[in-house]
Amino acid sequence: MKNQKNIRTAAILITAFLLLVTAGCALCFLAGRKKTDHCTAEIYQDGKRIYSIPLDQVPEPYTLEIRGKDGCVNRVEVRPGSIGVIYADCPDRLCVKQGFINSPSVPVVCLPNRLVILLKSHGAAKDTGPDAVTY
Amino acid sequence: MPVKKMTVLGLYATLSLAIYAAESALPPLAPIPGFKLGLANIITLVLLRRYSLKDTALVLAVRILLSALLFGNLLSLFYSLSGGTLSLLLMFLTGKILHQKFPPLTGAMGGLAHNAGQLAAAWLVTSTPAVLAYLPLLLPAGILTGLFTGLCAWLADRCLPGRTL
Repeated sequence: MKNQKNIRTAAILITAFLLLVTAGCALCFLAGRKKTDHCTAEIYQDGKRIYSIPLDQVPEPYTLEIRGKDGCVNRVEVRPGSIGVIYADCPDRLCVKQGFINSPSVPVVCLPNRLVILLKSHGAAKDTGPDAVTY
Repeated sequence: MPVKKMTVLGLYATLSLAIYAAESALPPLAPIPGFKLGLANIITLVLLRRYSLKDTALVLAVRILLSALLFGNLLSLFYSLSGGTLSLLLMFLTGKILHQKFPPLTGAMGGLAHNAGQLAAAWLVTSTPAVLAYLPLLLPAGILTGLFTGLCAWLADRCLPGRTL
């Protein structure tokens, strides 16, 4: 009888823990969803920043081809105010399906090619001078 | 290990590999990297109820190695191993605490641990902490899919013959 009660207490505690994690995550996600107009896109490969593009200074869309060390390819389209992957040679192409992002809440990730594209609002990224777009 | 047990465990490994293959043929449910139902986890949950941690770990290791060999690469092996090990341990502990009652809860803990482990692996691989922005999406997703696979494992366990070998 006592054993039965212990199990039920444990089950309730675990359920409470799971609910707490879910609630915490929901709060985190909503808090990170700030709407910003002036974003800088930063493209990282293998943890190194290879591009930094102020998206509000993009006059018209263009594409970048990014090659990894092992020959993998991602084509990134930069548009005024948004950025996304339009082609990848990875198996699942989840990075393409993620579409274009225009807010800093969630980055675009291509795990097989170790590519991460994230947006920062201008206030946070002071180190991006005008020369950062020369390539 | 008795031949009969080895055969049955081999069958379970084959079954989980088949489930894994069928699931990877489905289109992704949501455009979130790392998000999937994890149906092969049903087998792990059933095995944890019926066999020891060692036997379950053996079947899981065989499934992960074979699936990486057949469908993936070295990187996906690394993701699967980190997620699989963490979820196996957490599901084992949760199952122990709950005396194998409430399998959906065990599954939910497993899903949570799996996604946490996989995201940690992604952090290591890309060495970009920004991928952790997916944590608030992937943790609840793991809990939800874990509840589902736990429910499936519960039903499967009731239908399968022969509790022990």
